[in-house]
Amino acid sequence: MSIFKFSPRGARFGVPFWELEKMRDHMDSIYNALAGSVSQIRKNYTGVFPLVNLSEDDENLYLTAELPGAVKDKLEVSVKGDTLSLKGEVRQAETEAGEEQTYHRRERESGSFRRNIDLPVKVNIDGVSAGFKNGVLTVTMPKAAEAKAHHIEIKTE
Amino acid sequence: MSNDLNVREKQEVKVGAAENTSDKPIFSPMVDIWETDKGLMLVADMPGVSPEDLSLDLSDNTLTISGRVAPAPEGRKALLKEYEEGNYYRQFSLAETIDQSQITAALKDGVLKLELPRVAPAQPRKIEIKTEDDSAPAGSCPHDNG
Repeated sequence: MSIFKFSPRGARFGVPFWELEKMRDHMDSIYNALAGSVSQIRKNYTGVFPLVNLSEDDENLYLTAELPGAVKDKLEVSVKGDTLSLKGEVRQAETEAGEEQTYHRRERESGSFRRNIDLPVKVNIDGVSAGFKNGVLTVTMPKAAEAKAHHIEIKTE
Repeated sequence: MSNDLNVREKQEVKVGAAENTSDKPIFSPMVDIWETDKGLMLVADMPGVSPEDLSLDLSDNTLTISGRVAPAPEGRKALLKEYEEGNYYRQFSLAETIDQSQITAALKDGVLKLELPRVAPAQPRKIEIKTEDDSAPAGSCPHDNG
């Protein structure tokens, strides 16, 4: 058992190098401020399963997660306010059959997961759709009207 | 089942420079291999790979699994990137006990399943011993062929 639970963004109480981490965060924020438009790209590693990628275009916000072997019927995606929740199970039915099987390699994992993700913009909850293809979950979330880029025409006098 | 899943970082592999023609990284898929009654079962996680983009190659007792992921849709701006998308590549050397002509593969939900059956055990076969008594003329030596 590990003495320190890995919770990088949560409570840092008891984590020995939290001062250093704080400094790193500070440097990140300076770097992001200098980099300007990329400031929104957060490359922080949360360590929470599943890892997700978020992207956007003018209309939608897209979330993708690699979930090979996830049970489609048990995948749950829900949006409440600005938070997206993912819940599900990755199962290897054939390995459940018996632990006494002789394994030559055992690298894959099975189990359940649950994760909440804060969305950077407001989304239109009614329009959210999700698809699961080739083991990749894609959630498409239309941006709320107020979050969409509003193009203003410039009139010439 | 109550165990929670942990994040496992993908293992990037370095394949010969000529192999990688795309700018994507190449990962080694996680696999399970276990014994079955008939032979071996190999299961590999390859999320994002469609059956058309999967290739299985068998030569000189080496099984090569490679898969390409579909390119990300154009015109999207990344906001958060926790994982990298990439292609997959891994090689296995097969034991001689595997019947290479009988390998079957299936890809579903990003999980590749390969059945590797063992060579059927040699069937006991009775070898008939012909006696030359009936045909050979008496007195000829059976080892003398000319």
